Amino acid sequence: MQLNHSGLRFVLRRLLQALPILIGIAVLNFLLVHLAPGDAATVLAGESGGAPPEYLAQLRAQFGLDQPMYLQLLRYLRNMLTLDLGYSYRHGETVLALILDRMGPTLLLMGLAFVFSICGGVLLGIAAATALNGWRDRLISVLAVVTYATPLFWMGIMLILVFSVKLGWLPTSGMEDVVAFNTGWARVLDIAWHLVLPVLTLSLFNMAVYTRMMRSSMLDQRGQDYVLTARAKGLAEAVITRRHILRNALLPVLTMAGVQVGALLGGSVVIESVFAWPGLGQLAFQSLFARDYNLLLGIFFLSACLVVVVNLVVDLLYSAIDPRMKLG
Amino acid sequence: MPRILATFRAVIGTAVIASLGLTGAAYAQKRGGTLVQLTSPEPPTLASYMNTSFAVPQVTGKIYDGLLEYDFSLKPQPSLAESFTVAPDGKSITFKLRHGVKFHDGSPFTSADVQFTFMDVLKKVHPRGIGALRELEAVETPDDYTAVFKLSNPAPYIVMALAGADAPIIPKHVFGTGDIRNHPNANKPIGTGPFKLVEWRKGEFIRLDRNPDYWRPGMPYLDRVVVRFIPDASTRTALLEKGEAHLAGYGTVPFAQAKRLAGNPNIEVTTKGYEMFSIIESITFNTKRKPFDNVKVRQAISYAIDRQFIVDNVYFGYAKAATGQISSNFAPAGFYTNQVKNYAVPDNLAIANKLLDEAGLPKKDNGIRFETTLDTTAAYGEYYQRSAEVVQQNLARIGIKVNIRSEDVATWLNRVFTQYDFDMTEVGLANLADPVLGAYRALHSVYIKQGAVFTNNSQWSTPRTDELMDAAARELDPAKRGALYKELQQLTAEAAPAAWYVETQFPTAYSKKFKNMITSPQGLQGSFYSTWLDQ
Repeated sequence: MQLNHSGLRFVLRRLLQALPILIGIAVLNFLLVHLAPGDAATVLAGESGGAPPEYLAQLRAQFGLDQPMYLQLLRYLRNMLTLDLGYSYRHGETVLALILDRMGPTLLLMGLAFVFSICGGVLLGIAAATALNGWRDRLISVLAVVTYATPLFWMGIMLILVFSVKLGWLPTSGMEDVVAFNTGWARVLDIAWHLVLPVLTLSLFNMAVYTRMMRSSMLDQRGQDYVLTARAKGLAEAVITRRHILRNALLPVLTMAGVQVGALLGGSVVIESVFAWPGLGQLAFQSLFARDYNLLLGIFFLSACLVVVVNLVVDLLYSAIDPRMKLG
Repeated sequence: MPRILATFRAVIGTAVIASLGLTGAAYAQKRGGTLVQLTSPEPPTLASYMNTSFAVPQVTGKIYDGLLEYDFSLKPQPSLAESFTVAPDGKSITFKLRHGVKFHDGSPFTSADVQFTFMDVLKKVHPRGIGALRELEAVETPDDYTAVFKLSNPAPYIVMALAGADAPIIPKHVFGTGDIRNHPNANKPIGTGPFKLVEWRKGEFIRLDRNPDYWRPGMPYLDRVVVRFIPDASTRTALLEKGEAHLAGYGTVPFAQAKRLAGNPNIEVTTKGYEMFSIIESITFNTKRKPFDNVKVRQAISYAIDRQFIVDNVYFGYAKAATGQISSNFAPAGFYTNQVKNYAVPDNLAIANKLLDEAGLPKKDNGIRFETTLDTTAAYGEYYQRSAEVVQQNLARIGIKVNIRSEDVATWLNRVFTQYDFDMTEVGLANLADPVLGAYRALHSVYIKQGAVFTNNSQWSTPRTDELMDAAARELDPAKRGALYKELQQLTAEAAPAAWYVETQFPTAYSKKFKNMITSPQGLQGSFYSTWLDQ
């Protein structure tokens, strides 16, 4: 793939097309979030174990919740246009600062899980398809079904119980050892160590999806005419698999991966809760229950942006894997 | 001089001696070590002067001192105030402040800080302070080490609300400039307490290090306290079991898992440290709605609820049956009585059925008298849902069909306390350190206020009970107060605006390597200056 003139134009056009979609999402999110009964002031008072009405009125005025909804929406959209995501009164910080703070850990977790699940899924799929109905195929297929059917949170807790509590090999939770206060390479290693279980948990579900998909896709491609042709030309089976079948079989997996990014974000909410990972998922979860509108909307908005960008990247990858596909 | 004052003096005298003795015996305590404490959820802020979410003081209680602290029988003990005297008419309280105390930024603590904290901050923006300090008119500062509270009416409960967790003393020279509601130092607390804030990495941990200039000589013993936020209950338990974390309480450890942790030889599980919290769980009735406007219906339901079953099976023993809105933790103070209408009688179901018949709600052909909804929320823990299920089964036995509606906390608060759109709901109210601070809001007619959460949502009141509560709030003699509360408890048990079912006794789990962990009736919200690690 070369990002030549037309490629660049394609990217720009796609980004431009995304703008109205993102604005639509922002408005829709705003309305949906405000449909839920109760507001941030009530929640804060509730958490405080009660508060007099004076206190609540004070909070509402401070948060701007005493204004009519359409004014709040207009103000929100105006702020969005200047890339101002607002202020979280609950946290006493700007939404952007809060999100940027949490973005790193989530991208690290999601990115690794994304790569790991695709690579693992593709490899396992190939391994299964090339040993059709053998023990290897059966084993992989059974494992895929089991991991697909296991709820994420349960898988996470079981892995913690086995590998942390019983065997003591891996840390239970968090992103790093908060008592050690490591720096430099020691810290990097420590974080890598803490990544093992959450990445594994988050990957397993998607890996199962990709494994099954890759397997059936490989089998499907193997029966195609071009494979017969290749075989008739006398190419070795390994070469046919690697150079012909693989490329074509990869495409549906890639499509699926693009769609699954949103699901991955959802999964990271669960994983971050189980492993106390300091990421966006946890923040979103908390802000939903606290009716921290500004923060919640900010997270939704950035997630939408992320999905748009990943799908764009997937489309670019498409043309890299299969040069017959033109960007446009 | 009223007797109460003499008692306080005597108590403070002994406390000073006791604390000197403690310092003398300090050779046994070792210095050093890091305590890892778990909370969930993460505190939204460290501005404990305007947010009392229960996770907040678990951190700030170690950073900010109060004027006083309390022993397990809820008697005031010296802290930043070395002593206090209540004027004979009860309308002023004089605090003698400790000399030589420094804030974490090195500046001295004086009476100006006390005046600023109470008049400009707690009285204006503290969720409970607005109510608790209603009678406080002014704080006079005749000199740097004397602060005089001027009250419009006697308010003996005020001296019960002065711990660092509830009423943190904050420095005027820092918080006095700028808007207190939006202060840049909100999350950079500066107190006089044994630990200082070093770092708050959101979503991960809060790190507190020892305050080398702490006013209690040689203390604190611990080098560091790290507070971690672990959202998942099973993970929290795993951390405690593995020894990666050392302390958790306040429902952070679910009741069922506390039982399991108690079997671990390295872990101590205690129910001490909630004496100033005292949650009473109840089913409150919407007394403005049929058929709950009928006292017989409310009594029938109170009879039908099997309190001991809930204690044993929902709370795994970490609770005891409740008799009313006032906690039995006030028994030492003389404010609690169990001489009230007893609903836990052997023939409870027969009585309940009879009452419902009398109320004109006979059993129909399908065995059901009427159908109703019980509102609850999952936000505070699984035990709310489980209790609701028990109540559902209990009431089925007397022909009341209960539908459980479980909502998220914002929706539930809005329904129950703003819209009053409910039949029955589960409400847990903390009694705090005094009935005035905790119980009144559930029973007094001035607290029938739509939109104010955790108040009198049953909308029940009588002139006599209001009168009793008003009189008790101003009564300086504990014995007379006790008599007023006895009548209040009897009247409310009879009227049954709520079916009080348990007094929660939260379990705190901690590593046995640590000593002096729970030393105050505020438990995890205490300041931990005497906690030490036996390595």
